[in-house]
Amino acid sequence: MTELSLRLAVSLAQIAAVMGIVMLTVMILTLAERKVLGWMQDRMGPMEVGPYGILQPIADGLKLFFKEDIVPAGANKAMFTLAPILAMVPAMIGFAVIPFGPALTVDVFGITIKPFVISDINIGILYILAFTSIGAYGIILGGWSSNSKYSLLGGLRSAAQVISYELNVGLAIIGVLLLAGSLSLVTITEAQAGGFWHWFIWGARPDGYFPIHTQIFAFVVFVISAVAETNRVPFDLPEAESELVAGFFTEYSGMRFAFFFIAEYANMVLVSCVAASLFLGGWNAPYPGTILGYIGLEQLAWVENVAWFTFKVYLFLFLFFWLRATLPRLRYDQLMRFGWKVMLPIALANIVVTAITAYFFPR
Amino acid sequence: MNLKTWIKTITFYDLLVGMKATMSHLIHYRPITLQYPHEKRTLPDNYRGMLALLRYDDGTEKCVGCDLCEAACPSRVIRVVSAEVPGEPTKRYSKEYYMDMTRCLFCGLCVDACPVDALGMTREYEWAVYDKRQLHLNKQQLLAIGDRSFPVREKQLELQHPNVAFFNVAFKHLPQKPS
Repeated sequence: MTELSLRLAVSLAQIAAVMGIVMLTVMILTLAERKVLGWMQDRMGPMEVGPYGILQPIADGLKLFFKEDIVPAGANKAMFTLAPILAMVPAMIGFAVIPFGPALTVDVFGITIKPFVISDINIGILYILAFTSIGAYGIILGGWSSNSKYSLLGGLRSAAQVISYELNVGLAIIGVLLLAGSLSLVTITEAQAGGFWHWFIWGARPDGYFPIHTQIFAFVVFVISAVAETNRVPFDLPEAESELVAGFFTEYSGMRFAFFFIAEYANMVLVSCVAASLFLGGWNAPYPGTILGYIGLEQLAWVENVAWFTFKVYLFLFLFFWLRATLPRLRYDQLMRFGWKVMLPIALANIVVTAITAYFFPR
Repeated sequence: MNLKTWIKTITFYDLLVGMKATMSHLIHYRPITLQYPHEKRTLPDNYRGMLALLRYDDGTEKCVGCDLCEAACPSRVIRVVSAEVPGEPTKRYSKEYYMDMTRCLFCGLCVDACPVDALGMTREYEWAVYDKRQLHLNKQQLLAIGDRSFPVREKQLELQHPNVAFFNVAFKHLPQKPS
């Protein structure tokens, strides 16, 4: 009994810590996005709240919290309430299997815990894919239940888009899974240890230095599809501002709107974490081992590893902002043609090539 | 499709050019916007801002109530009620003068039309109000705007002839200003 309650307490503490970090990251992202976009467009971004506007996320949060909660006439109230929750929960739940740091274990009162991953389940990446698909239901239901034509159009577009690009995400990571021989993100990350040439984006074999298993095409497909899956520019057709007002959350206000907003940014963070774990070695430094380990601080090596993971994730998040500042929105048929006639064949060809090379030159 | 175009397509060359442009703007960060309420841009010399009624240096109104501004106004902003100066039947002044600034498009035609230069355009532009009726200005308000934007060089009210108002005729029998 005591062991069970202790395990429960440890798990809850880990969940609270990860949720807190994710929420903090979302807060930072809302400010960082507006700042980076502003700087790229020769503006300043938010400057009023606090020095250089750094308290803007808090002001936004307070504003959204105190806003009136409007349910439009004719809306399906149950679905209208359910949709933001259905969008946000899958975005948050995926972080349960992300390894944020090295797989060291700590003994607390007789039980062994892994401090940097909430739950190392052996189908980790499959679990994330499954839950991000459920997140699409939140968008579709939100668009349908609002009883508004803009919302419905946004939801319909979202359905088509998520189906098209989720396929590419799933196919793009199969090469990595073939090489790592596992679906667990912890195992996949550990398989990339020992310098950046072992990351699956290059995929050099441990004995040689020729990157025969390179997954760079899969990486490109994955990044593009991930941008499309999180409904970000240039694939933001579900919420195309200039044509659909705000797309599927046109009718949402107050905290429900905030839920959709947090879900979008949490999805960005999740996709960045997955991309970093699968292709860029996760928490592995781009050189063998860790500097802190070499100078004798073996106990503090995890600091360096977590810092590298954070750096890689923020690199991806910056890429999201950078794309948004640069690219215009795709037309709908361009989006579909790009997904099915360009991304899908590349992903399929990558699977074939990787399977052949992995058979003849096993890792 | 020749080889060069094909390579450009598969490497997303055009997208990379665009992303290089945005990145160069991020690195050489030089904002062109101003933090408006805290810092304001310099107005051009011929800026056409809020309209105002002007006075002569001795404090008398310039307006002679001729209605030409009302005739010139394309948006029918101005309404003048002209009247005789009491006791001086040859002279007229504007007994009432209204401007509905909600309709004004700041073209400056009334200023051009005025034969006595009684109308002026100030450099005021922060005229956002909560109540639209506050933009319906009367003569006193317009004179006050003129007084604060174009302060007369010296207001010597003791030199003022009662209701001196037009064409500088009134100045003929006034004593010269002490030098």
